[in-house]
Amino acid sequence: MKAWRVALALAALCALAGVPWYGSDVLTQFGINALLLAVLAQGWNIIGGYTGYASFGNSVFYGLGSYGVAIAMVQWHLPFAVGLAFGVVLALVFAFVLGVPVLRLKGHYFAIATLGLSQVMTAIVSNVELAGQNIGLVLPPLNDDAQFYELSLGLLLIATLTVGWLSRSRFGFGLIAIRENEEGAAVMGVNTTLYKVLAFALSGFFSALAGGIHAYWITFLDPESAFDIGLNVKMIIMAVFGGPGTVLGPIVGAFSLSAIAEVLSSEVTSIAGLFFGLVIVTAVVLMPRGLADMLRHLRRTGWRYFLENLRMHRL
Amino acid sequence: MELFAQVLVNGILQGGLYAVMALGLALVWGVLNIVNLAHGAFIMLGGYGSWYLYTYAHIDPFLGLPLTAAVMFALGYALQRGLLNLVIRAPMFNTLLITFGLEVVLTYLAQLVFTADFRTINPPYAGSNLALGPVVLPLARLAAFAVAIALAVGMWLLLLHTRLGRAIRATAQNLVAARLYGVEPRHLYALTFGLGIALAGSAGTLYGTVSQINPYIGAALTAKSFAISIIGGLENPLGVIAGGLFLGIVESLTTLYVGQTFADVASFGTLVLVLVARPGGLLGRAA
Repeated sequence: MKAWRVALALAALCALAGVPWYGSDVLTQFGINALLLAVLAQGWNIIGGYTGYASFGNSVFYGLGSYGVAIAMVQWHLPFAVGLAFGVVLALVFAFVLGVPVLRLKGHYFAIATLGLSQVMTAIVSNVELAGQNIGLVLPPLNDDAQFYELSLGLLLIATLTVGWLSRSRFGFGLIAIRENEEGAAVMGVNTTLYKVLAFALSGFFSALAGGIHAYWITFLDPESAFDIGLNVKMIIMAVFGGPGTVLGPIVGAFSLSAIAEVLSSEVTSIAGLFFGLVIVTAVVLMPRGLADMLRHLRRTGWRYFLENLRMHRL
Repeated sequence: MELFAQVLVNGILQGGLYAVMALGLALVWGVLNIVNLAHGAFIMLGGYGSWYLYTYAHIDPFLGLPLTAAVMFALGYALQRGLLNLVIRAPMFNTLLITFGLEVVLTYLAQLVFTADFRTINPPYAGSNLALGPVVLPLARLAAFAVAIALAVGMWLLLLHTRLGRAIRATAQNLVAARLYGVEPRHLYALTFGLGIALAGSAGTLYGTVSQINPYIGAALTAKSFAISIIGGLENPLGVIAGGLFLGIVESLTTLYVGQTFADVASFGTLVLVLVARPGGLLGRAA
């Protein structure tokens, strides 16, 4: 990597890290949300973008992470860090136990199976007494947005460095091989089951941590919001909007879509959702490989880039 | 025992409705390879269509059903021809995303136009029942069930015995070969999607006669339609009917014996089990 790129990345990181000091409260809170969404999109990127498995089960990891923190802190009066670890353990158990059978499925079938699992988890947690059933749990408040902000930023940094390492490691190449041609990868000696389960678990690790931080920040959770399938759809949209299977794409996607949604909901409150839907539809038609790809090619080909995309996928 | 019989009948009646909901999704998925996340939103639109017909033009929902279906067909045809054909060869994520975008647009449009109030289509016979020994059959549900089965069987006959049906099945099996035999895919895909949306609209009409409609029912109905298509398999409308009935019965029995909150565990747990054990559906060929 060129030196100026490293410098640029460090400058951007410092600018981001300083937000709680020079930005308003509203900006900091918006930042925490955007950073956590970016972590989720980055986590989804590992299983969805690199491995090519469209997981709708990442919101389960998120929910387990949230409940890990909430149960540890509310029911057992343990510190936050222990709760985070507990949530991660729950997520990893889920990834290994259910990942093995479910990751045998391909394409749409995997997507639907994980969707089914997330519905089952919501219903199960709504019946567990320890988790407060369908009423939920209220956590002790800690009114320190700056701390949550830096925690989220740190998590995003670790997730992104991990994905950066992934993109040039033997493990990552194995995942890409699985995405491009699973039989071929197996023939080349990739232990596909192991690789897929590890990718699923790694993606679950980051999602669970994001869920834990979010739970402590919001101080309230119930099964509906913790296992919200809409959140899973959001991660996918952000990763795909930015560029799935790239290191920075999901972050670009999460930040830009969060910003668009925020501006829309403050400017045109009643029809914000409508615009959001139209943005997604237009983006899929005109830039199917994400913002990252568009920025790379737009300078060279100009508006013909969009025409080429149209020509490529139409019937 | 009487309670069991009543719950079983309720499950079967509900299952017929489920079958029609899933039929359109399975058709579009099987032929076009699009998992239509907006399917439930189209069901919702069909429900509103019939509600308006009944409330302002006093057309009985069952008589108005062909009209609703025709309008939905036109909408589906136009959407596929104008929009979805543009991305049909893109990777799976993209078609998932675009239909999700459509779902968001339709839901918000519905909220703006129809408001968020709950609506029910209430024809004069809504409260009438038919007693069959100890078992009570609500008339509206029975009618909805009959129409649902008729639609599913009609769909099956259409796919099996008409020129259009053969063209649709040929395209699902092999697009290139179908093209060589003179199928024009852009038109055929649009027809298929139109049919799927017309079925969704009809399901919405039936849904409106037995449950409440609001702009947000779509997502849950899509999830349920998924489960049924998977349980029944994508190959055959009769499989989807079986899947719908199966799910309806499983849900009502779970509600009776385990509790309401476990109904979703049962239906989606079955979905996951079927997927892992028999990815081709309970009645489909093993994958």
